[in-house]
Amino acid sequence: MIEVSNLAKSFFARVEGRRAQIIAVSDVSFDAPDGTITALLGPNGAGKTTTLRIVGTLVAADAGMARVGGIDARREPRAVRAQLGMLSDARGLYARLTARENIAYYADLRGVPKPEFEQRLKALADLLDMGALLDRRTEGFSTGERMKVALARALIHDPQHLMLDEPTNGLDVLSTRALRRLLGHLRSEGKCIVLSSHIMQEVEQLADRLVIVAHGRSVAHGTAAEIRQRAGAASLEDAFVALAYDAAEVAAR
Amino acid sequence: MNAAWIVFRKELVDALRDRRTWFVVLLSSLLAGPVSLLLIASFVSSAEESAARREVIVANAAAAPALVNFLQRQGAMITDAPSDYREQLRSGRLQNAVVVIPPDFEQRLAKGETVRIEVVLDETASRAQAAVRTTTALLRGYSRELGSQRLLARGVSPQVLQPIEIEEVNLAGSRARGAQLLFLVPWLALVGAVVGAISVAIDVTAGERERGSLEPLLMNPVTTGSIVLGKWAVAATCSAAVVVLTLAGFTAAMQFVRSENLAALMQFGAPEVALFLALLLPFSAMVGALNMLAATYGRSHKEAQTYASYITMIVNFVPILPLFLTIRDAPWQLAVPALAQQTVLMRALRGESVGPADILLPGVIALALTAAALLLQARLLRNERIVFSR
Repeated sequence: MIEVSNLAKSFFARVEGRRAQIIAVSDVSFDAPDGTITALLGPNGAGKTTTLRIVGTLVAADAGMARVGGIDARREPRAVRAQLGMLSDARGLYARLTARENIAYYADLRGVPKPEFEQRLKALADLLDMGALLDRRTEGFSTGERMKVALARALIHDPQHLMLDEPTNGLDVLSTRALRRLLGHLRSEGKCIVLSSHIMQEVEQLADRLVIVAHGRSVAHGTAAEIRQRAGAASLEDAFVALAYDAAEVAAR
Repeated sequence: MNAAWIVFRKELVDALRDRRTWFVVLLSSLLAGPVSLLLIASFVSSAEESAARREVIVANAAAAPALVNFLQRQGAMITDAPSDYREQLRSGRLQNAVVVIPPDFEQRLAKGETVRIEVVLDETASRAQAAVRTTTALLRGYSRELGSQRLLARGVSPQVLQPIEIEEVNLAGSRARGAQLLFLVPWLALVGAVVGAISVAIDVTAGERERGSLEPLLMNPVTTGSIVLGKWAVAATCSAAVVVLTLAGFTAAMQFVRSENLAALMQFGAPEVALFLALLLPFSAMVGALNMLAATYGRSHKEAQTYASYITMIVNFVPILPLFLTIRDAPWQLAVPALAQQTVLMRALRGESVGPADILLPGVIALALTAAALLLQARLLRNERIVFSR
């Protein structure tokens, strides 16, 4: 269970040579129950990545609270990280290490015992169809192959919670299917899964519940049907546009 | 298993599979050390040889039989200058001075005139310097002898012309004089320590961020302190490896050269190796940490290289400052990293005494800077602006 309430985060950056405050997240709240895939759906720059980073304890929120399995991300960051797996926006691998060594590094850092590691790795390799990759150095891996290794690395300690930032970015059909299969499997095990995306069709296929995020705010949540109904729209796309963009913004495009 | 140890093990494997690491380690240690030592040895021995042999190259020697006779009496070996001696001097094929005798030398001397003798040399040929000093001293001796004879012929004591007699008394032993060249030995080891740390230090910091593996790494439930500690241990190990190999290179070259000149110049036995290690290993620890800290501020591999190169420049430059500023050993030098190591190691090579404080003070300062740099870096990795800056 991941609970997020009234998160806010702004940072300073140089805009045209001047220091300017950029509000990344102004008011995001949602609950992501166990055994469910929850998707944060929003345009680029809506604050999805920042929200995930706050939950993942990499960024401290200015206000609001994020709890993972009942533990406060700000107060006990290491306890939160211990029961969280995260496929972040950055999913770099060590090119001079094999896929197996990349994954083993994280297993060691998380204190996964050796026999359990072997067992988990085999299960994940089967689920992700990546057995042939394991003993190759990751230099020159395709985007899909990289994603599989990064995903296995994030899941090697069998976390109760999984967060994925734009997981299907740059993936081909087969890799997307492998990902979908894995997420379905994890859901059936009762895991709590949160992912972010800006692609409507993908979210409709993958997620049970949606949280629509726009301009740093969570503007709606529920199942796809509930959101369509609330916006009085025929398709999720229409509902999304109605909820996520201002009327002026839509007209301007 | 301790997290720092896990990080160390992984980064070590990663570094050892990197061809750049091997290139730097082998080039800086196995080549730089012995090659420079061989150069010093050949420089020293040929300089001493040409000075000791008192070889005097004379053009048109036939015009001055009395001078040639005088020179031979002084133990000099007279060689006829080749006809294109100016060309040979300029190109460096001839590393000596050439005495040019004018054709009417004897006749003009007989008339009691002052005759000009040219000593031709190329001052940039460093080995010629010792030779030209010998040659001019010999010629002055001949001039003095002729002058004395002329005075005696007029019934005047030659001492009238010599109210003051100057005698050089050099307090530096012959070893100390040669040791001026030996600044290269500790200096190469110091530079080796920095160069050995650089590529690893950058790869584990700016490299980690640039390839997008820093964010996932920080998602592991370990402290940034243990991550920094593990990474630093690899950078320091690589630096120390270069130092050890450089010293091994020096030792091997000393065996190989077997030059009495060099052996007389430089004390480099087991006690000196131990002293080098005692001073340079804390220095390796420090440059590993400082290079990592500098590289952490770099947003890319390239920027990190720029920052790290400042450290390299400082370590290159500080130890040779005393050569230019002619600073004598002073206590404050032991408080300046790089300068301290250089100063103490030079003393050891010159065969001067080195006390425990000379080893402890630079070591403590280096380790304190190491700790400060590591603590600061552990804090930086908790700073979202450092972690996510693009």
